[in-house]
Amino acid sequence: MTPDFPNLSFTLFCLLNTGFVLLVSPFYMSLIKKVKAAAQGRKGPRLLQNYYDLRKLLHREVVYSPTSSGVMRVTPYLNLAVLLLASLFVPVIFIPDAPAGIGNIIVFIYLLAIERFFTALCGLDAGSTFGGMGSSRAMSLSAVIEPTMVISFAALAYVLKTVDLHEMFAITSASAIPVSPTLVLVSISLFIIIIVETGRLPVDNPATHLELTMINEAMILEQSGKNLALIELTHSVKQTLLMAVLINILVPVGLSGGPNMGDLAVSGLLVSGLAFLVKAALLAVVIGLFESSLSKMRLFRLPVFYMMAFFFSALTILMEVFA
Amino acid sequence: MSEPLLVSGLSLLLLGTVLSLLYRSRTCRTGSLGLTCLSSCLLVVFAGEVLYGGREVLIESYSFLSPLEFNFLIDRLSAGFVLLISLVSLGVSLYSIKYVEDDKSEGRKSLHVALMNLFIFSMLLVVLSANGFSFLLFWELMSISSLFLVIYEYEKPESRKAALFYFIMTSLSTVFLFSAFIGLYSRTGSFDFRGFGLLDPKAVSGIFLALFFGFAIKAGAVPFHKWLPYAHPASPSNISALMSGVMLKVAIYGLLRFLLAVEPELWWGVLVLVFGSVSALLGVVYALKENDIKRMLAYSSIENVGLILIGIGLYLIFRVSGLAGLAGLSLAAAGFHCLNHALFKSLLFMAAGSVVHETGTRNLEEMGGLVKRMPRTALLFLIGAVSIAALPPTNGFVSELMLFQAFFSSSALAGANAPFLKVLLVISLSALALTSALAATLFVKVFGITFLAQPRTECAKQAGEVPKIMLLGQAIPAALCILTGLFSSRLFALFGFPVEVEVPDMLFVGGILTGAYLLVWLSVRNFGPSSGPRVSEETWGCGILAQHPTMEYSSAGFSEPLVLIFKKIYRTQLSSSRTFADSRECVFEHGTAEIRLMKFFDEYLYLPVAQAVDRVSMEVSRLQNGRLDTYVLYVFLAVLVLMIFTRWFA
Repeated sequence: MTPDFPNLSFTLFCLLNTGFVLLVSPFYMSLIKKVKAAAQGRKGPRLLQNYYDLRKLLHREVVYSPTSSGVMRVTPYLNLAVLLLASLFVPVIFIPDAPAGIGNIIVFIYLLAIERFFTALCGLDAGSTFGGMGSSRAMSLSAVIEPTMVISFAALAYVLKTVDLHEMFAITSASAIPVSPTLVLVSISLFIIIIVETGRLPVDNPATHLELTMINEAMILEQSGKNLALIELTHSVKQTLLMAVLINILVPVGLSGGPNMGDLAVSGLLVSGLAFLVKAALLAVVIGLFESSLSKMRLFRLPVFYMMAFFFSALTILMEVFA
Repeated sequence: MSEPLLVSGLSLLLLGTVLSLLYRSRTCRTGSLGLTCLSSCLLVVFAGEVLYGGREVLIESYSFLSPLEFNFLIDRLSAGFVLLISLVSLGVSLYSIKYVEDDKSEGRKSLHVALMNLFIFSMLLVVLSANGFSFLLFWELMSISSLFLVIYEYEKPESRKAALFYFIMTSLSTVFLFSAFIGLYSRTGSFDFRGFGLLDPKAVSGIFLALFFGFAIKAGAVPFHKWLPYAHPASPSNISALMSGVMLKVAIYGLLRFLLAVEPELWWGVLVLVFGSVSALLGVVYALKENDIKRMLAYSSIENVGLILIGIGLYLIFRVSGLAGLAGLSLAAAGFHCLNHALFKSLLFMAAGSVVHETGTRNLEEMGGLVKRMPRTALLFLIGAVSIAALPPTNGFVSELMLFQAFFSSSALAGANAPFLKVLLVISLSALALTSALAATLFVKVFGITFLAQPRTECAKQAGEVPKIMLLGQAIPAALCILTGLFSSRLFALFGFPVEVEVPDMLFVGGILTGAYLLVWLSVRNFGPSSGPRVSEETWGCGILAQHPTMEYSSAGFSEPLVLIFKKIYRTQLSSSRTFADSRECVFEHGTAEIRLMKFFDEYLYLPVAQAVDRVSMEVSRLQNGRLDTYVLYVFLAVLVLMIFTRWFA
């Protein structure tokens, strides 16, 4: 199955899917903040606050430290480009006739690794203690979560018998209920992965003001102006993509198209777009509530938390093996 | 001789050796290295043509007695490794033209070049050998020429220790190989490798074990890995690049040559997979704690050998289970990773060599800020780091991707052993994932601490860029890292590796990535204030007035979280005893504090063996009293025993 490239379905997909993800991502950042504020009895930011922030930052000048090098200047662009590429791997509104390899789950994991690698280098670039601390912690924690992430995706590959995200979604969206009960187990791991990868409580506190407790925020402490806007946008796109993976595995209702459905109706796209908006909003609320109900864990207690996620995904594979 | 390219390539190498031995001048050394480059180019063309055409040639060149003959076989496997050796030696010989001139003594410089050429020559002939005799002969030549290169700086005690360690380990490896080849001879009556296929199933397992341990020692698989972190830092960097990039692969070649010829059993695959996973994980975990840049790279080689062994293990398991497609994928992954590791590790060793040459230290804590002083070396090192950290679309990613795909498809395993195998593969997959993420962390640390931020010491501050020819030598493997990554699927198709499981096309991924980068850049280019000078402001330091390198994160600090998480593996023991002052007499007694690094393999494997050998040799040495009559007695007794023995048993 190697459709000729460029075909219409895939070109359309590149524009629509990526544009859609870019457009809605900042919204969920604000929404989670809003939910957390509500849980704490505060009013919280406006729902569109992140868009205003991005616009403001985009018009600000970039300030570089004289210590910093080209790494600092290239990374914001590179990271957003990587995440744009990654967005092709996760169909949000419809499943296109993608060229072979676009959708490969391992490539997706490693695209996220590029983002992490260069963000961590940025943290070291300016020579600040906080940046170095952030890089060290972020890389260490991401190394420890990696087996969980790979085993979770391997569990998906085991259950759905494919390593392609597009095909996985096509299989899950073909039935209304989850294809296999074990997928529910993997979903728990995927949820924990979202929490870890997007730097949320109890792993990292995105709202902290104390540098010593920061992980992700410490790495980007030296970023400013439009570079910071790009980094923030990258971060929110990453969150949306990971959320989309979980949603499309667990409740794929509304995702239209499939490798065989060539004719795409505008109404169908609207429905699936809306469906994703609602589902992702619900998930964002859950994430917000989850964050509000926990306090930050000590750094060296975190591997225990990761073991839990690892356990659920390994259990899935074992159940498939011995079923 | 029917292979003009091969023969001329090999003769040029020998000519280069002789040239630099005879005339000790700079011109001759440069000429000799030029010949190495030329010969590498010829051999690359030769190997590429054999790989593409897929022909097999057996060259019978010389024979002493009937089993002791020099036979050479050119097939796709040996051509692949000839390609690997020549690609690396092309870059390394260019790099060495300036690098070897660093020494004071003319004689030593010439010897360096001569030994290097001999080393490359012997490695080439090892992979071309068609029988055990010529294999072992050139294997020993390879070991000995590299041994002299390890001991190149013989004034330093650490070099002498490294060389001794290396010598013992490589001899041990040869002992295993000897017994394997003698086993082959006793069963088939010839040393010819084609005899592997004729072995009966009972004998073949014993020979497999002997060969596996022999090659595992040479390749540096855990627990036989200890010689690597000694030998690589001790030798000059161009030699480290060759040893780590190429010589370890020669051992892998030997293993593959055997495994492809015989009918394997399932437990072999399990054994190789377990060894591979343990080597990969422990290699990178130990590397994380290293502050010596070359030792760190040596540990990282252990990790990569582990990855290759994982690929071979998977190949054996899938082949025995009858899954030809997945077996082919795993074998291709292992083979491709051999090439990839040769490319990026030689690049990293050369770049590290430039850094060590410029700063005069191997300690990461004394570096920093080199990206401003050595921008091109920094870029080349970054390419190597990105490849070894397996980030798409580089070649390092492609081979890991193929390994992951083989693992992910293991649900296809069926049969009585399937549940056990699947659980084993899940454990091994977790180890692989952890290894790969730790490698990324490791190279963020190494690049960040070495090249970014401010220089931590004076010597780092005074570093400068290395000469262009050294950069060119590194640029070749760097370019190949990217190109073989981008064109991986096309290369597989071109050289006719039927990979049934589809591997994503990195050219497409790389193309979209470049497009997306341009898109992002173009769309935000016009934002922000357009006029006015670029603003530059000191790094924010919580209120300190000026930035100081002591405020930067250190190498040890960077890996501290992981060192704490994996403290069970390192088994660092802190012990302290304190004696408080007597309040009346104000006597302070000395306290002691100790940080003890548990060297697991040293204490539980190497030392007991060494002590046992010591005890035995003490006993044996009593036999030698230096008196002629005793020796005559020994000879007489030996003859007597032999006569009785032959009378009774023959």
